[in-house]
Amino acid sequence: MSGTKPDILWAPHQVDRFVVCDSELSLYHVESTVNSELKAGSLRLSEDSAATLLSINSDTPYMKCVAWYLNYDPECLLAVGQANGRVVLTSLGQDHNSKFRDLIGKEFVPKHARQCNTLAWNPLDSNWLAAGLDKHRADFSVLIWDICSKYTPDIVPMEKVKLSAGETETTLLVTKPLYELGQNDACLSLCWLPRDQKLLLAGMHRNLAIFDLRNTSQKMFVNTKAVQGVTVDPYFHDRVASFYEGQVAIWDLRKFEKPVLTLTEQPKPLTKVAWCPTRTGLLATLTRDSNIIRLYDMQHTPTPIGDETEPTIIERSVQPCDNYIASFAWHPTSQNRMIVVTPNRTMSDFTVFERISLAWSPITSLMWACGRHLYECAEEENDNALEKDIATKMRLRALSRYGLDTEQLWRNHILAGNEDPQLKSLWYTLHFMKQYTEDMDQKSPGNKGSLVYAGIKSIVKSSLGMVESSRHNWIGLDKQTDIQNLNEERILALQLCGWIKKGTDVDVGPFLNSLVQEEEWERAAAVALFNLDIRRAIQILNEGASSEKGDLNLNVVAMALSGYTDEKNSLWREMCSTLRLQLNNPYLCVMFAFLTSDTGSYDGVLYENKVAVRDRVAFACKFLSDTQLNRYIEKLTNEMKEAGNLEGILLTGLTKDGVDLMESYVDRTGDVQTASYCMLQGSPLDVLKDERVQYWIENYRNLLDAWRFWHKRAEFDIHRSKLDPSSKPLAQVFVSCNFCGKSISYSCSAVPHQGRGFSQYGVSGSPTKSKVTSCPGCRKPLPRCALCLINMGTPVSSCPGGSKSDEKVDLSKDKKLAQFNNWFTWCHNCRHGGHAGHMLSWFRDHAECPVSACTCKCMQLDTTGNLVPAETVQP
Amino acid sequence: MDGRLPQSPAGLTDILCLSVHLPRCKFFSLTETPEDYTIIVDEEGFLELPSSEHLSVADATWLALNVVSGGGSFSSSQPIGVTKIAKSVIAPLADQNISVFMLSTYQTDFILVRERDLPFVTHTLSSEFTILRVVNGETVAAENLGITNGFVKPKMVQRPVIHPLSSPSNRFCVTSLDPDTLPAVATLLMDVMFYSNGVKDPIAAGDDCGHIRFFSFSLIEGYISLVMDVQTQQRFPSNLLFTSASGELWKMVRIGGQPLGFDECGIVAQISEPLAAADIPAYYISTFKFDHALVPEENIHGVIGALKVSQAEKH
Repeated sequence: MSGTKPDILWAPHQVDRFVVCDSELSLYHVESTVNSELKAGSLRLSEDSAATLLSINSDTPYMKCVAWYLNYDPECLLAVGQANGRVVLTSLGQDHNSKFRDLIGKEFVPKHARQCNTLAWNPLDSNWLAAGLDKHRADFSVLIWDICSKYTPDIVPMEKVKLSAGETETTLLVTKPLYELGQNDACLSLCWLPRDQKLLLAGMHRNLAIFDLRNTSQKMFVNTKAVQGVTVDPYFHDRVASFYEGQVAIWDLRKFEKPVLTLTEQPKPLTKVAWCPTRTGLLATLTRDSNIIRLYDMQHTPTPIGDETEPTIIERSVQPCDNYIASFAWHPTSQNRMIVVTPNRTMSDFTVFERISLAWSPITSLMWACGRHLYECAEEENDNALEKDIATKMRLRALSRYGLDTEQLWRNHILAGNEDPQLKSLWYTLHFMKQYTEDMDQKSPGNKGSLVYAGIKSIVKSSLGMVESSRHNWIGLDKQTDIQNLNEERILALQLCGWIKKGTDVDVGPFLNSLVQEEEWERAAAVALFNLDIRRAIQILNEGASSEKGDLNLNVVAMALSGYTDEKNSLWREMCSTLRLQLNNPYLCVMFAFLTSDTGSYDGVLYENKVAVRDRVAFACKFLSDTQLNRYIEKLTNEMKEAGNLEGILLTGLTKDGVDLMESYVDRTGDVQTASYCMLQGSPLDVLKDERVQYWIENYRNLLDAWRFWHKRAEFDIHRSKLDPSSKPLAQVFVSCNFCGKSISYSCSAVPHQGRGFSQYGVSGSPTKSKVTSCPGCRKPLPRCALCLINMGTPVSSCPGGSKSDEKVDLSKDKKLAQFNNWFTWCHNCRHGGHAGHMLSWFRDHAECPVSACTCKCMQLDTTGNLVPAETVQP
Repeated sequence: MDGRLPQSPAGLTDILCLSVHLPRCKFFSLTETPEDYTIIVDEEGFLELPSSEHLSVADATWLALNVVSGGGSFSSSQPIGVTKIAKSVIAPLADQNISVFMLSTYQTDFILVRERDLPFVTHTLSSEFTILRVVNGETVAAENLGITNGFVKPKMVQRPVIHPLSSPSNRFCVTSLDPDTLPAVATLLMDVMFYSNGVKDPIAAGDDCGHIRFFSFSLIEGYISLVMDVQTQQRFPSNLLFTSASGELWKMVRIGGQPLGFDECGIVAQISEPLAAADIPAYYISTFKFDHALVPEENIHGVIGALKVSQAEKH
């Protein structure tokens, strides 16, 4: 504020007033103009506020800095630091409280004149004013004045105080400061530390110094160039900002050796840096000749302890007006509001809009926060949409133990809700793969198993060029069609498709029966037809038509079928090939396509996308030659991969191709759950090493954690380690004996016959069997449970200390579910502890440690202790 | 800080303008004595000086050392100025035969040493100070330079005052002003420095033996420092110059009968040590030919006495 450049200050208490100071002091009053017209003489500050000039004070020339008295009363007392180092108290108000009238006009004079750079009122003792002055070879640069001290002519002889001519009123001069600090140094900026009334932080010529007025010969200091504009974070009293040219340094006073961080350097020198008083961790900076204010949001930074935690800072900028900004001031109470002044004294009042942060909860509700408001977005009651959401589905499936049936894999699709044909196909495929692998391993322990899991694509490739076709008779018809001779690979493929059962029996009968049982008449009829049994097909259709839920039209279809003629140009053929396209059911459609097709060209069947992949592949295996089959499978595989269709797993198996397919499925649906469980089945193969698979698995685990399904997570981990032993985690926590320091569980497992006595760090097995109350290593007793006073290692079979019967019941009921109740647990703070079950029940009713005379609030120190898994909360 | 010591008898107006208007020149000092004008200017400023046959330039480049009370090692009760650093800086340098050139200002004291002497200076002062080095804006402890150059442990030597002393009758004040107000007094400053030779003060004219012309102006890193006698001070507008609240005035001790040159060492120490012993604050301004010490007027007789005693010890 060197005469030309105005500065601006909000009144600390009368929050609708501010002062602009350049060569004079002008007091303004801010009014809202929302409901009223702009008054004559008012200056518009923003769309809804205007300022009125209340008074001007030009009593104090050569102003260098201004600070507003922090006490509420008197309201408009200002301290002005002048170019000659004097500090003058002046007022802008009409407040003529006699108690303070004496203060106005009071001057505080340093021994040697030089510029006053900065002023700071003590926030705790409102009468203390610190002034920072330029250097003088023989004088101090930090002077602390008590504004209520009497002028002291007896201490400083008046004749020695030679005042310039014209200064008649010498009565208001004070020449004796309360404290003098920083000899032969310059002080560029000052601020009091809120930690103590007598701590003052000063930006000196080449260092930052903390002066402790309780012992003025001592000071803490750090050499740095960043000595301008020191300012304490009002919300975090150990955090201080200072600057040098274009660089802001943030300091932690507890670790004062170097800045905890420096902000990105600006090309132009900074002129002001200020913490927002209404919001934590928001720092505003202004550079010379700039029309923007840069904001640094340190909201989410961890408390800056230690060198390694480099906090993240969100930087953004606001442009309150088009002109260059001379200075700005945060409003003391109104959130994020500030006023700026330009060099030509136009002002603008504005509010820094808060960043909006959004968060999805893991159970599909949306929250967003702006400033101090938190909004919850509730979706309109539309259960349907919510139910279709994959997150909801996955949650429900996790609760129904989806994926965990490792014996009857196909049942998993029922656990998943039996609604998704792709999942059904997937789990049947995996089921068959598992079944035939086991089958094959039994027959000939070799590497065939991996071929099964590699999918039909690999299976048919391995048999290339070995199959010849032969003509087969239709059953009950005088017709012959070329059918491929079924070699081992094709049989395996048909088995995987589910058309035939294991063994060498190629009869589709059982499959047809099961389809009929499931009331899939059209499909059954089609499969029968593809096996050249038109009579069976007609019979099935009739059966369907006569059944309860059946469609009577099936009779009509059966009738049409029975009219089949082999003649190329018959009316039947003509009508069938045109009308079949109007049939709704894809299986009925392909039946007629098959009957009307020329030998060897079955595109109408093979490319009917509504027909299940397994049926089309089985059909292809029966009717296509090796080259055709390979081409078809190749093409279909790519189609499936592209679409992310899980039916395609039948073709790709659990190979890299399968992972590709699953990738596009996950991309499409987000269903990491199915992806994880599916790929875990392929553990004998290399797919688990694929980083995508690991990524899905980790994400699914995180998802379960986020839902607080910790038990489900644990189940998943167990399931995973069964299928993939390499994922089994090593023990990371051990209980060591107080006396010998050896791990209790380790020494235990070293003793063979006691091996079952312990599991990791608790007691497992039946309570009566093993009772280990001493360290297996040194035989010294284990610590006692603070509640039952029994040595640890004894299971909580009973609760001797507890008189409450319900507690007893509670514990014994849980015992079977988990031995967690028997685990050792102890507080890391007071080191008292005992059986986990006892401790949990104790802290249900108590806040303090069960050990008498220990006042540790153990449970409250445990941040996760009070969390409850969601499975037990929700049905 | 680099220092050059040119000296010129006349025609310095443009040089003053240069100092005020060149932001690159960070160190500028102009001292008028009855004999000459002494200019101390940094290398950037020196390049801007017009070359002139009137300008005689001292050899070598000088570095300005500045003692700040950073580091907290000084308690506030210690004496100040040249007196303060007499023991810790000036005496050790004199003991090591390092020639120094002093310039006191309103704000601080500068000790100029030859650039080539710097390693010895650093070594000498390392016993008294922690030597820090600024590397990329960060202050780090300097490694011991390991220069011995056959140093011997300085022994306590008596340092009698060698050169003749004189004390003019002027009463001086040491002052400063707000750099923002400099333009307002620029013409006055020029007048005082360059065009007031003929206008002798009527009282001083009668008392020819006692009154001398002495005026010093320096602008160093934005800080202005002025030394002038009371008569000159009265020509400035009131309330413009920074004065001390106690209105202290100073008297001068001029050192040297013949021009002192730049090679002799120990001159500053000879003066400052007795002052330090008596705890008398002092300013010290070296010029091209002579040295000048300023002491509080109430102490002048004591100072002269003490220095005379020291002088007598020589004989």
